[in-house]
Amino acid sequence: MSDKPDSSAGPAMQKEGPVQRFFRATEIDQRMLGMIIALIVIWCVFDYASGVLRGDFGGLLGGSFLTPRNLWTLLVQTSSIAVMSTGMVLLIVMRQIDLSVGSMLSLVAVVAAVFQVFQLGPVLGVGHPAIWALGVAAAIGIGALIGAANGALTAYAKIPSFIVTLGGLICYSGLAFLVARGETVAPMDKTFEVFGGGIAISWLGPFWSWAIAGLACLGIIFGIVNGRRQRQRFKFPLRPIWAEVFLASIGSAAVLGTTLVMNSYPWPFKLIENYAVANNVPIPAGIENRDGSAVCMAAEKIVRCTEGLIYYTGYSVPVLVALAVGLVMTFIATRTQFGRYVYATGGNPEAAELAGINTKWLLVKVFALMGALVGISAVISSARLNAATNALGLFSELYVIAAAVIGGTSLAGGVGTIYGAMIGALLMQSIISGMSLLNLPTAYQSIVVGVVLVLAVWLDQLYSRRVK
Amino acid sequence: MKKYALALAGAVFALTAVSSAQAAGKTIAVSWKTFQEERWKTDEAAIKAAVEAAGNTYVSTDAQGSAQKQAADIEGLISQKVDVIMVVAFDSDAILPSIKAINDAGIKSIAYDVQFEDPSALYITFDNVGVGRTIADEVQKAKPEGNYAIIKGDKGDPNATFLLGGMMEVLKAGIDSGKIKIVCETFTDGWKPDGAQKNMEQCLTSTGNKVDAVLSQNDGMASGVVAALTAQGMSGIPVGGQDGDLAAINRVALGSQTVSVWKNAKDLGKVAAEAANALAEGTAMDAIAGVGKFADGKNKVEMNAILLAPTPITKANINVAIDAGHITKDQACAGVAAGAVPGC
Repeated sequence: MSDKPDSSAGPAMQKEGPVQRFFRATEIDQRMLGMIIALIVIWCVFDYASGVLRGDFGGLLGGSFLTPRNLWTLLVQTSSIAVMSTGMVLLIVMRQIDLSVGSMLSLVAVVAAVFQVFQLGPVLGVGHPAIWALGVAAAIGIGALIGAANGALTAYAKIPSFIVTLGGLICYSGLAFLVARGETVAPMDKTFEVFGGGIAISWLGPFWSWAIAGLACLGIIFGIVNGRRQRQRFKFPLRPIWAEVFLASIGSAAVLGTTLVMNSYPWPFKLIENYAVANNVPIPAGIENRDGSAVCMAAEKIVRCTEGLIYYTGYSVPVLVALAVGLVMTFIATRTQFGRYVYATGGNPEAAELAGINTKWLLVKVFALMGALVGISAVISSARLNAATNALGLFSELYVIAAAVIGGTSLAGGVGTIYGAMIGALLMQSIISGMSLLNLPTAYQSIVVGVVLVLAVWLDQLYSRRVK
Repeated sequence: MKKYALALAGAVFALTAVSSAQAAGKTIAVSWKTFQEERWKTDEAAIKAAVEAAGNTYVSTDAQGSAQKQAADIEGLISQKVDVIMVVAFDSDAILPSIKAINDAGIKSIAYDVQFEDPSALYITFDNVGVGRTIADEVQKAKPEGNYAIIKGDKGDPNATFLLGGMMEVLKAGIDSGKIKIVCETFTDGWKPDGAQKNMEQCLTSTGNKVDAVLSQNDGMASGVVAALTAQGMSGIPVGGQDGDLAAINRVALGSQTVSVWKNAKDLGKVAAEAANALAEGTAMDAIAGVGKFADGKNKVEMNAILLAPTPITKANINVAIDAGHITKDQACAGVAAGAVPGC
């Protein structure tokens, strides 16, 4: 990622303008910058439009999109697709594809739910602390197994992955139907539900959110310092100090800003009330104001008010899971032998094989990893819905592939980043959520997402041709 | 050659066996569009039982989700000279030439659950407009005024429109008098529960939680609606759905859903089979019990129809679904305090 020599002095450097010098010095991925700018533009447009349409809900431009609440929800809604898109990047980098992730998600979610509700529940007793752990382990395990099967058929039976997983797409949805005979399996274990982010115990609250943000900032600074030290050790060209400081501050500002937004979304009014009543928390006296988000007492009644008892949500578990998956996957992709082999094989399969990489086994492992990630997504989606059905995850393969491609993964293989795919997922979900905030019919959502997908790839082509 | 002769003899024997069976009674055929969904097996069992109880023979074909195969299936049934053909149409327009062929051959036809607009057929279904009406009715009983959200099904499914029509019929008076305001109305791709959850979340965000009741067009989507409401601490406001999903009946018992309108496929199968038996005996279509006129399809063609009233399952009558064997008491009442709900 950031270990290629860059700042070498040469005649080309003198001709550079300040903008080019800035990008060269900071090594910022211009493609990613473009995506983030697109994201911000989209957010502003939706905020403005929703304000014009519905009136002020306190968003930055007077709408309901750029409010802590909507941004918080947006991240939760994105997490399932984002998790899967990280695996899809590696597969596409290897010149393969997995069309079966949506059906696989249905299958894994239904099997894990049936296991949890009908087998573990009666045996261990509903609410047993082992249930959630076994449920999660089952989902990830089954996902990895199915993925490995897809991979083995592709690598050893030499069936193109497009066909294997197209078959899987059709077959797994049928299996998912059979397992529960088309019924909805519900409700999930109470602890398991934490992964969905829909209940109060799955919200970290401001203290832990700030703690995590602090750790993340330390991590960014450590990463930059460490990277610099490594470059010195191997005599690589260094970034100027100002660029290092700039990167550290931008990274920390992004982390702290996101945390601030998450920490300014208060618990829903009713939940504060329920919590206060259940835990005998004294409710301060105040004046009735139906539009506030905190609760207080007006005479004998509990009402909404601006100043009073209030809790803030902070990060929710599914978002943290997605971020953790993103971190781990970035590490795997860029810092491990396995990851480098994946990129090498994708860049040139013959050369990789001749260099002694066991590309077949590698492919099985990548598919199994994809499957395990589908398992994690299945946990998030079924916990979020507090139910599992064979309709869960339907069509999500399209969004997962689109997220990876919008995020700059090339179908020609060898190129793609984990963070790009996750931002791609966020971009897509922003469009979908924003349009549904404006109450636009789903037909329009599909049209816009499709156009954005093609547009993103086209712009990417133009950009890379210009760079060449 | 010898093998051939043997096979031929076997075939002839089989044919005689079939025709001798036919001699005992009439033959009722069903052309199914698919068995992909579990419910059709329930329908089939009910039809088969009722047909055989009348001493008639049941034959069936499965179009496996293909309009072409269904056309070929029906040609085959016509050449077998069955007495009545019940059709669960895969495509309600593409089926019309086949229906004409059935009519030309002097065979009676029944449109089972899926409408096609041919006046020669008897249309038997649950009253889908009525389902929408019942959902809205029960929710309106629980919340006569306030802000309503409507979570609709897939935009390509005519049932979503029928259901909405029924809902609007009931709500119209309230909307006109200003008591009821529809604050959100969204389609949901593929009737997906997680899609409905996102739609509901966006609805709550865009209205600042000012939603007092939700009409969901099925139970799967209602599960998404309830999850979105629970996250906002709003679980318990009236939510209506349909299908009689097991999880939904449990939600009704727990109080997070107000009503699940249940279409008992066994009832539909039984009524249709009895109508088919009567038609096979030569009873005139409009002389069959429960037949009325129906002209609310796409092209407003008037047909004879039997529209069954669905059963709304609310807290008060959960025992109906338990007694019918649709759900066990344990499933329906999981998590419900003893004695809190009649029937549990």
